[in-house]
Amino acid sequence: MSFPGEWTLRRLIAFVATLGVGIALYIAIADSGSGAPACLAGGSGCQTVADSSYSHLAGVNVAVFGIVAYLLLLASAFFADDAARLGGFVVALGGFGFSVYLTYIELFKIEAFCEWCVASAVLMTILFLLSATRLIGYAGAGEGTAVARGS
Amino acid sequence: MPGEAEARRRQRLLQLAAGAVFLAIVAVAVLIVVNATTSGSGGDTKLEGVAAVNKFLAPYPQNAAVIGDPQAPVEVVEYGDLQCPVCKHYAEDVVPSIIEKQVKQGSARIDFRFMVVVGGESITAGAAAQAAALQGRGWNYIEIFYRNQGEENSGYAADDSFLEAIAKAAGVKNLDKWNADREDLTKWVEENTEEGENVGFTGTPSFTVRGPKLNEELEAVGTAPSTGELEEAIEGAH
Repeated sequence: MSFPGEWTLRRLIAFVATLGVGIALYIAIADSGSGAPACLAGGSGCQTVADSSYSHLAGVNVAVFGIVAYLLLLASAFFADDAARLGGFVVALGGFGFSVYLTYIELFKIEAFCEWCVASAVLMTILFLLSATRLIGYAGAGEGTAVARGS
Repeated sequence: MPGEAEARRRQRLLQLAAGAVFLAIVAVAVLIVVNATTSGSGGDTKLEGVAAVNKFLAPYPQNAAVIGDPQAPVEVVEYGDLQCPVCKHYAEDVVPSIIEKQVKQGSARIDFRFMVVVGGESITAGAAAQAAALQGRGWNYIEIFYRNQGEENSGYAADDSFLEAIAKAAGVKNLDKWNADREDLTKWVEENTEEGENVGFTGTPSFTVRGPKLNEELEAVGTAPSTGELEEAIEGAH
């Protein structure tokens, strides 16, 4: 099985994480106070989701946790060592798991969808797959490995 | 040997990753199971109609206990008691049609005032709803409360866990503030009650309208008017 070069994976992770920071930042800013993100496709799904008690955890907007996760993933892309590979994977795994939980909440509890939250969940899923590929492909490969591993 | 060291390190990292995956699966499963076995969105209390109420009210601005455009020419005041069964019927069948027509069109706004007629527990409940109103969630609180109304003066309306469950379900974001505010708002409910009595009302739900055609004078529509009478009063004040 061959893997894309680690340098390619790191660039992809950095790109997707940057998009994620933008989306999470927008949700956090739009949701501050009593506002809500604007649903581009129309409808009141974003308002309904933002207004629900699930939009906050311990008084903190869940989008803030998203910003932190995306920034950590962005940081992991700047380093080519095992700590960054494993750390990035664990953060992406946590983000992906939390996205699964939030999607469940939207579907079965709030019964409304916010397209920004869905976009963030998709990005986090992509980051999880990229980080998993990076870890499986390059774990233990030492620092600065940029060549594709094949077997 | 470097090759062996790398292989060992790689194996160790992948074991750690596998452990993390296992923990993540357990954590997500626990979160979902816990949520599935608790209520709509408010802790241990089973609440009805949460999603429907929040969805219905989402498009309308709320300012304190007022729903609708603050500049709407006609002000409708509803005096209601959260324990009152007739008010529940109005909250479910009459007021939503006013919201969907006159409030949506921008011709009227509705201000909810708490008039206590059933019993002392209505004061505690009203204060809790007004505290939610201070965070822009008053109508969500009131409507969800009515959809989960219990037997008059049976204790539920002053039960902290019930009131807090509704606050969470209504989307009150700062529960500490809500808790602090509701302690101070019982006086507000008593003042509302006195105000309704001064208009001449003895029961709930009672309505007044005020608008340009009435030279901004208050007109008492009465207690438990029909939807048609209420719409006519709003049109007459517009």
